[in-house]
Amino acid sequence: MENPESVSRESKTKKRRKTLNDDQTQSISNNMKWRTEAEQQIYSSKLFEALRQVRRNNSPAEANHRPRGRVVREAADRVLAVAAKGRTRWSRAILTSRLRLRFKKVRKQKVTGGGRLRKVEVRKENKGITVLQRKVRVLGRLVPGCRKLSFPNLLEETTDYIAALEMQVRAMTALTQLLTGGAGGLAAPVDQLQSNLTSPT
Amino acid sequence: MEGTVIRSGSAGSEEDGTEVESFQFGEEIQGLMSVPPESGSSFTALLGLPATQAMELLHSPESDEAPATLSGEARVDQCQKPYLPSFNCSPSFPSNAALVERAARFSIFAGGSGEDSPDTNSMPSNSSRVKNEPMDTDSNPTTPPPLISDPTVGNRNLKSAKRKEREKKVKGPSKKNKNVASESSEDAEKLPYVHVRARRGQATDSHSLAERARREKINARMKLLQELVPGCNRISGTALVLDEIINHVQSLQRQVEFLSMRLAAVNPRIDFNLDSLLAAESGSLMDSSMFTPLVWPEVQVNGNRQQYQQQWQYDAYNQPVWGREEDNHNFITPENSLLSYDSSANSGTSSLRVNLLKMEL
Repeated sequence: MENPESVSRESKTKKRRKTLNDDQTQSISNNMKWRTEAEQQIYSSKLFEALRQVRRNNSPAEANHRPRGRVVREAADRVLAVAAKGRTRWSRAILTSRLRLRFKKVRKQKVTGGGRLRKVEVRKENKGITVLQRKVRVLGRLVPGCRKLSFPNLLEETTDYIAALEMQVRAMTALTQLLTGGAGGLAAPVDQLQSNLTSPT
Repeated sequence: MEGTVIRSGSAGSEEDGTEVESFQFGEEIQGLMSVPPESGSSFTALLGLPATQAMELLHSPESDEAPATLSGEARVDQCQKPYLPSFNCSPSFPSNAALVERAARFSIFAGGSGEDSPDTNSMPSNSSRVKNEPMDTDSNPTTPPPLISDPTVGNRNLKSAKRKEREKKVKGPSKKNKNVASESSEDAEKLPYVHVRARRGQATDSHSLAERARREKINARMKLLQELVPGCNRISGTALVLDEIINHVQSLQRQVEFLSMRLAAVNPRIDFNLDSLLAAESGSLMDSSMFTPLVWPEVQVNGNRQQYQQQWQYDAYNQPVWGREEDNHNFITPENSLLSYDSSANSGTSSLRVNLLKMEL
């Protein structure tokens, strides 16, 4: 003769307890997925195809508008987002942003304008926005599609995003090595770059 | 409100106080007292060191108490009989009264059956979503007699809550002795959405509990991030760790940028390379024993591609990409083999490819 409400509450607490533990395990397993060889190969093959696609699209129309690096970068990000299978917010944001940018180029300008205003605000009201808050916002800007996300969710997205980025770097390095035919020569500058970037921190 | 872990904070304080008492009153009590605290500051441990009033309350349901629910409780009850004559003073009245309240609840609890009472709803718990330990409701030092009525209300709920408490790991006694502010709003009778364990010496109001739950979430995720970002393990403090994370993300993005520029430089060659590779390798590699590895990445990629096609059909921009991939299905496989070999080991196959590339160039 258990009270249905209390039973449901109990189940809720059990579920909540489970989700709290499952959260971590799931995020860890997701991180490990980005590290697997299979994932990297899938990404590499898709990237390769996308690059060929870009090549074919690029020659007639956009070669003059955008630098090729930009196009490649966007293609790489898009493929990465696809590899994420849409489970994470940043991957969905990347994929949808491509569509938006294609159809509405004005929107991009608006966004940057707002960003400048926000910067000025922060400088003036230094005490209103704490140091931590500012950093959280910077991080939110870095991770695509996570600007107005709550802190714990933002951290989760960042975790997955960092793992995905590392895989992207590995795959692109391998691809570059493969395509340019240099095994050691290419890896060196990339490592140097990495060390230069990380050493000051 | 910045709470430390909320776990029967006042209970912990009582335990300390009563422990002092035990020393004063005799070794027997001491010996008996030592048992519950060792159990890990459980509620029963706290109950084991109550004031006289608690004992009186506890004695009544003792007979009914089943040995089932909480072994600690049984222990406590057994211990309490000899305590009765010895305990006469209560150094800290409010805490004792609170403890009494809790003890009363628990004792009647233990005596009661395991069903959840509908009375839990009657307890006007606020909209707190965090589960409080039953003991946390001791904030109001009301007199014991009126408290007897309360246990009946919050019985079953507390009991099930207590069970869960037992299952959960309990932290060691904290050093804080906190008299909880009078938010008896916990009432704790209501099973919340998140089961947060309040540890000793910490605030027990709903806000701090929710804060604690949120904080634990954030800390767990920060831990994961720290493991992911190199060099973050030694840094303590959220701000610095965030700095590291931001730097790492920025460096990774810059690397991607750099690599993409490099790939773009290489890009004009891709078509040539691929065509030549396909022409050259389709003859050489396919014939060799590398056929089986070809199958494996093919299967994976195909599976993923189909999945993506189903999911991302709306993505018009990608439509031609998927279509192309379908068309170039057979072209992919040698490329997959290339990549798999490349990543697995830079063996002679990769050099073979490299040679092919160089020849084409």
